[in-house]
Amino acid sequence: MAETLVEMRQIEKFYGRVHALRSVNLRIERGEIVGLLGDNGAGKSTLIKVLSGAVAYTSGEIRIKGRPVQMRSTLDAIANGIETIYQDSALVPQLSIARNLFLGRELRKGAGILDRLDLDRMNAVAADLLKRVGISKNIPPTTPIGSLSGGERQAVAIARAMYFDSDLIILDEPTNNLGVAETQGVLRFVREARDTGHSCVFIAHNIHHVFQVVDRIVVMRRGTVVADDLSPRTSSIQQVEDIITGEHMAA
Amino acid sequence: MSDRTTALPPGAPARGPGLLRAFIAQPEFGPLVLLVVMLVVFTAINPAFLSLTNIGNALTFTVELGFIALAMTMLMTAGEFDLSVGSVFGFAPVVMWTLFNTEILPLPLAFLAALLVALVIGLANGLFVTRLGIPSFLVTLGMLLVVRGSALWLTDGFPQRTWNAGEQWLATVLVGDFYIGGLRIYMSLIWFILLAVMFHYALTRTRFGNWIQATGGNPGAARNRGVKISRVKVALFMVSALMAAFAGIISSIRVSAANPNSGTGYELEVIAMVVIGGTVLTGGRGTILGTVLGVLILRLMRNGIVMIGVPGLAYNIFIGAIILGMMALHSGLERRHNAGV
Ligand SMILES: Nc1ncnc2c1ncn2[C@@H]1O[C@H](COP(=O)(O)OP(=O)(O)O)[C@@H](O)[C@H]1O
Ligand SMILES: [Mg+2]
Repeated sequence: MAETLVEMRQIEKFYGRVHALRSVNLRIERGEIVGLLGDNGAGKSTLIKVLSGAVAYTSGEIRIKGRPVQMRSTLDAIANGIETIYQDSALVPQLSIARNLFLGRELRKGAGILDRLDLDRMNAVAADLLKRVGISKNIPPTTPIGSLSGGERQAVAIARAMYFDSDLIILDEPTNNLGVAETQGVLRFVREARDTGHSCVFIAHNIHHVFQVVDRIVVMRRGTVVADDLSPRTSSIQQVEDIITGEHMAA
Repeated sequence: MSDRTTALPPGAPARGPGLLRAFIAQPEFGPLVLLVVMLVVFTAINPAFLSLTNIGNALTFTVELGFIALAMTMLMTAGEFDLSVGSVFGFAPVVMWTLFNTEILPLPLAFLAALLVALVIGLANGLFVTRLGIPSFLVTLGMLLVVRGSALWLTDGFPQRTWNAGEQWLATVLVGDFYIGGLRIYMSLIWFILLAVMFHYALTRTRFGNWIQATGGNPGAARNRGVKISRVKVALFMVSALMAAFAGIISSIRVSAANPNSGTGYELEVIAMVVIGGTVLTGGRGTILGTVLGVLILRLMRNGIVMIGVPGLAYNIFIGAIILGMMALHSGLERRHNAGV
């Protein structure tokens, strides 16, 4: 059965005097897609930044596959199999798709002064990956990222996470500013990622997008998790929206 | 996924039909056209422009700034630049010839010592920029004054003699000359070609080159992927100072004097060469080939306007106009490029 991939326990985060996370607990099983919902300022981004090593947490514990780990930097997170995909920020616009895929882990050949990039192999792998995430049409792997659309960039970042076999792929509002077709593309990649055994945390403003792909919904409000076992199969959008806004308590 | 035709910028390189369009979109296209136009115009007005003697002369003086321009291309691709190169150009030969003339060190060791001093200067630049987060404009401006001041102080402002260089094998290796047919070739030109090939290879074919582009293109993303961006920058500041020292030493042997004031203003001329060649001042995109073109353009312009009878003092007008024209061209292409996304 499912193995627990990530366990965050009693995470606290202060930004100065702002109490952004209040004793947050979050579990992610292997191969599941978790939708993280909540109003603006609920603490979603902060929570996944803690998990991806982008911000330091004040206290609490993070376990990966049962083992306690320190997340001091994004490199720590990547080493632990956690990839985060932010809109744009994770790619270098001037470099080609293939060079971006392998940035920091370049394939090389030759020795000494002739130690050089194995561009043929990098391009071949990239072309293959592009096909897998479904954007191979007429886009050579030598294309600079800067000339891709927003959705295609997300796809490249997802392809990278898949290639390096990250256990967990975090997407913070990946569908913001995307067109309808591009959004469908991103959602398709997320399913593809799950089908190949990756877990995902998916944050999106549009609750309909979330309902289309996730296995489980976690709702945050004012720095705490207020629900963590909602299923898009048994809950309605209206019910989840009520929990996000706190309406259900008033009722 | 989205329609390719909407996502594809009109000038995107090497996609679909139209090799010509792909060629035009290359950053080297503008400078290449300009160079050809210059050659045609200058030769039409004064056919002696294309004579072997003139080309030989132009090429000789070209390379000294060219060495620095190669390194500056790398540095600017990584998103930084170095204003202290002109002062290192003046200081390194002063160090070398002072050590040699006072018989502290034999010439080859004095040469190495001068390069070592340059490396330390580059290291200091790099550490100030990366550790303290001070913009390279301010750091290298400060270093310019420190280094130029040191050269003047060390020499009391007087040029160091270099006459004994003639018998030294090192001098022959650095600035000796030979003839191919009627064309006089200086060793420094060979060095320049060699280094240009090496720099081009390093920037486009190696992991270090990939890291340089990533460092300038999106430092946050690069750092997140494990690229050691501080180390990349420090290394490039050191290369920059090394090249400036190398160029200064070659120049001092050629003109038989190590003048503590030489190289004044070279930093701006070098940066002009690099940006005219198509390297972006804000980092991320650089081209060694373009820089070689930029070096030739500035050099032949200086040489050409004199040959066609324009007063040499007007040189800066032309260079300034070329910089403005090239920037307008590059920004036009850039805008067209971005409009398509
Ligand atoms: N860098 C920061 N400095 C100070 N406060 C911050 C910072 N980032 C987020 N916050 C605050 O933390 C709270 C949670 O923000 P965030 O995690 O971005 O929420 P969400 O992603 O759910 O919209 C908000 O009150 C926000 O203002
Ligand atoms: Mg957010």
